[in-house]
Amino acid sequence: MTAITVTQHVRYQTKVAHRRATSEPAWIRWTLIASALAFLTLFLFVPLAAVFTEALRKGWDTYLSALIDPDALSAIWLTLIAAAIALPLNLVFGVAAAWAIAKFEFRGKSVLITLIDLPFAVSPVVAGLIYVLIFGLQGWFGEWLIDNDMKVIFAIPGIVLATVFVTFPFVARELIPLMQAQGKDEEEAALVLGASGWQILWRVTLPNIKWGLLYGMILTNARAMGEFGAVSVVSGHIRGMTNTMPLHVEILYNEYQYAAAFAVASLLALLALVTLALKTFVEWQSAKNAAEFEKEANG
Amino acid sequence: MSIEINNISKQFGKFHALQNINFNVPSGELVALLGPSGCGKTTLLRIIAGLESADDGRIAFHGDDTTDKNVRERQVGFVFQHYALFRHMTVFENVAFGLRVRPKATRPSEAEIRRRVRELLGLVQLDWLADRYPPQLSGGQRQRIALARALAVEPKVLLLDEPFGALDAKVRKDLRRWLRRLHDELHITSVFVTHDQEEALEVADRIVVMNHGKVEQIGSPQQVYDQPASPFVYQFLGNVNEFESRVNKGRASINEVTVDSVEHQSVDDAAALAYIRPHDIEVLKEPNGAPSFSATVNYIHSLGPLVRLELQRQDDERIIEAELTRERFLQLQLIEGSQVYLQPKQVRVFLKH
Amino acid sequence: MSKKTNVLPGFSLSLGYTLLYLSLIVLIPLSAALIKTTELSFSEFWHVVTAPRVMASYKLTFGASFIGASINAVFGLLTAWVLVRYDFFGKKFIDALVDLPFALPTAVAGIALTAVYAKNGWIGSFLEPNGIHVAFTPVGVVIALTFIGLPFVVRTVQPVLEDLESETEEAAASLGANRWQTFYKIIFPALLPALMTGFALAFARAIGEYGSVIFIAGNMPMVSEITPLIIITKLEQYDYTGATAVAVVMLLISFLLLLAINGLQWWSSRRNAEAIE
Repeated sequence: MTAITVTQHVRYQTKVAHRRATSEPAWIRWTLIASALAFLTLFLFVPLAAVFTEALRKGWDTYLSALIDPDALSAIWLTLIAAAIALPLNLVFGVAAAWAIAKFEFRGKSVLITLIDLPFAVSPVVAGLIYVLIFGLQGWFGEWLIDNDMKVIFAIPGIVLATVFVTFPFVARELIPLMQAQGKDEEEAALVLGASGWQILWRVTLPNIKWGLLYGMILTNARAMGEFGAVSVVSGHIRGMTNTMPLHVEILYNEYQYAAAFAVASLLALLALVTLALKTFVEWQSAKNAAEFEKEANG
Repeated sequence: MSIEINNISKQFGKFHALQNINFNVPSGELVALLGPSGCGKTTLLRIIAGLESADDGRIAFHGDDTTDKNVRERQVGFVFQHYALFRHMTVFENVAFGLRVRPKATRPSEAEIRRRVRELLGLVQLDWLADRYPPQLSGGQRQRIALARALAVEPKVLLLDEPFGALDAKVRKDLRRWLRRLHDELHITSVFVTHDQEEALEVADRIVVMNHGKVEQIGSPQQVYDQPASPFVYQFLGNVNEFESRVNKGRASINEVTVDSVEHQSVDDAAALAYIRPHDIEVLKEPNGAPSFSATVNYIHSLGPLVRLELQRQDDERIIEAELTRERFLQLQLIEGSQVYLQPKQVRVFLKH
Repeated sequence: MSKKTNVLPGFSLSLGYTLLYLSLIVLIPLSAALIKTTELSFSEFWHVVTAPRVMASYKLTFGASFIGASINAVFGLLTAWVLVRYDFFGKKFIDALVDLPFALPTAVAGIALTAVYAKNGWIGSFLEPNGIHVAFTPVGVVIALTFIGLPFVVRTVQPVLEDLESETEEAAASLGANRWQTFYKIIFPALLPALMTGFALAFARAIGEYGSVIFIAGNMPMVSEITPLIIITKLEQYDYTGATAVAVVMLLISFLLLLAINGLQWWSSRRNAEAIE
């Protein structure tokens, strides 16, 4: 018998056995499925559908004009800039942190991991506040900034800083466990073969973690473009100047321009759906890679 | 409590895992299901337990049809290959589990549960581990706890799936002897699955040899080893030399060597395979008149009380293995390259189909 | 600690950069909040952070977060179970969509939930006639916090459930346990660390949440005003010290929660590591 039929046989065996000895009666199964779906419908599907219905409530014309409004366009632009700056910064940080933590042993490592997680736990409003305390008018650097005619709070740099803060851990969080699991055998092998540090990073480490890296970037980007609380505190809500897309949604909503608010919101919702699709694709790819790796390892 | 297995068949997709399996396990016996991986032995064991259902056929315990009974109601003790101990429970609670989940009406009192668990832990000689958790135990200890847990429900039959498969060689040997002694004490009808012929030969009262979802032979260890019913059984149990041969009216010939083959009296000139175990070959320095193969000694492996020779036949250059005692070996004064004559002492011939 | 020799390069560079960046972006700014509060004496600080309006906001924030996380614990476990154990049409699609609250900007979630649960909304129009008011009440806060915490329990329980050996369940069945006994004596204890981790993550996330709540809450002082909104209100009144004092309370709580979560994850991974052995 070939190896393939054996594995197939084993797979069938566990699956069927599972049904026989350790499964629930059909009516319980369907009740559970129905309750889970009802919950997800109430909390996920209906709100998602509502975004698009509300956006198109007044027709395509209103929808499009809300999107090509100059204030909307400038909000889109600012959102893209903030994400474009935050992403590479946190990417480099994530790789550096994961390299230090996964490949070396040092005192205080677990404290460092906890500190990296800290921005996850901090309320976005508090994240905005701390930058106001440093760069705001009465802040540490407030006077110095005025003297040098620079602005951080209620300006683009503040928005970028807040965005960097809230997306700080995403790449590092993905890479640390991944690189820890991979160990350092391959890097040591490369070193023995004469590769330099940067060569090892480019040719051995990065190709091994590419899917984790991409995954972290997708999450970072989604959060960067969607951040509301932190950015709201530092932005000052100046139309056409310091408004990001989520802030623009808020302004339109508070002015009772519901259709326009939902139109801009629908763009963000689309972004979320694309993010989920990419994320699923990446998970699928890395699972496939892992399976291939395992197959090779087992001969 | 005997087990009757009638016409059991099972298919997974297009794969025939079991085809028309029929045999009985007599009350109080310890039976081994022996075969290579993928031969269907584990599937059969799981069907007996009720963890899986057969497509066809029936299972009865002492005449009592259990085919449609759920695993919960069959009262079998099942020991899993990887123990399947409950990690978050102490050893004591693991063993007590089967008693605690009984309906109120039949559940023993707390004191009775304690007594029974203590007794079982004593039986497997691990009463000092009662308060430990499974991850703190060695593999052999886990396996004995798994056994105690299965015995706690006073099963009608005990089923063990590769019970020593995950253990290292030394522990394995100790544990299987211990299982044999335990069985002699308890006399509970038991079936265990193994792919290790040595294990089956040493422990079981009776061996069921399986291959490709079929039963090849059923018999005592002596029977299956000395009188294998098929070439598969011959090859699976111990080392063997295989020869192309022809059979004609009760005589089998391997090139110029001809031997008696009484079970094929009525066969007229048919192709066959002849099997000779390495220790059934007589090695001679000089021909003694009786038919023999001439061969050259290629390698000598002389570790332990037996000496193994790898020999090359001169007629067709095939390799033959022979085994002889150290005494005999010293007597013959063989070195690599020696010219010898080989006489089969016992040959088993199977017709080709 | 014994220094293990490690031949790989880049340790001082990568660790140095990590610590520098961490300090600049996270640690120094956070310490600014702590330093700012020292402008207040302890009694002043205490007065600010225990003012009745602030106390009411704690009650709402923690209460609603706890209820939201509890709802997610129950339905998240259910969802994870259904996704791992059963086959049904559209399963993969639904599995992917569970992460929507991670990906959807909170402001969008806020206005969408408000639209759905308002008097004339798809769901609100069924609830209002029955006297259930969701939008602009504390119930709305619970709804929003349930939404944003939804993926946490599902995503922590799901992998543990997938890795559960079927042998253990079969062993329980062969020992006479019925399906329900097998669930609460064998499966549930194995899932418990992951379930609690998921609960704690959802709870921590909910406490700090701002964007999705402010649209649906109505933001009435003493009734439906959450703590992050108190900070914003104080900031808008240029009461920086007051805002910071409340922020420091939230920071401390977040930090404690983070420690609790790390402890839970350690417990959870230890349980799983044993399974591999």
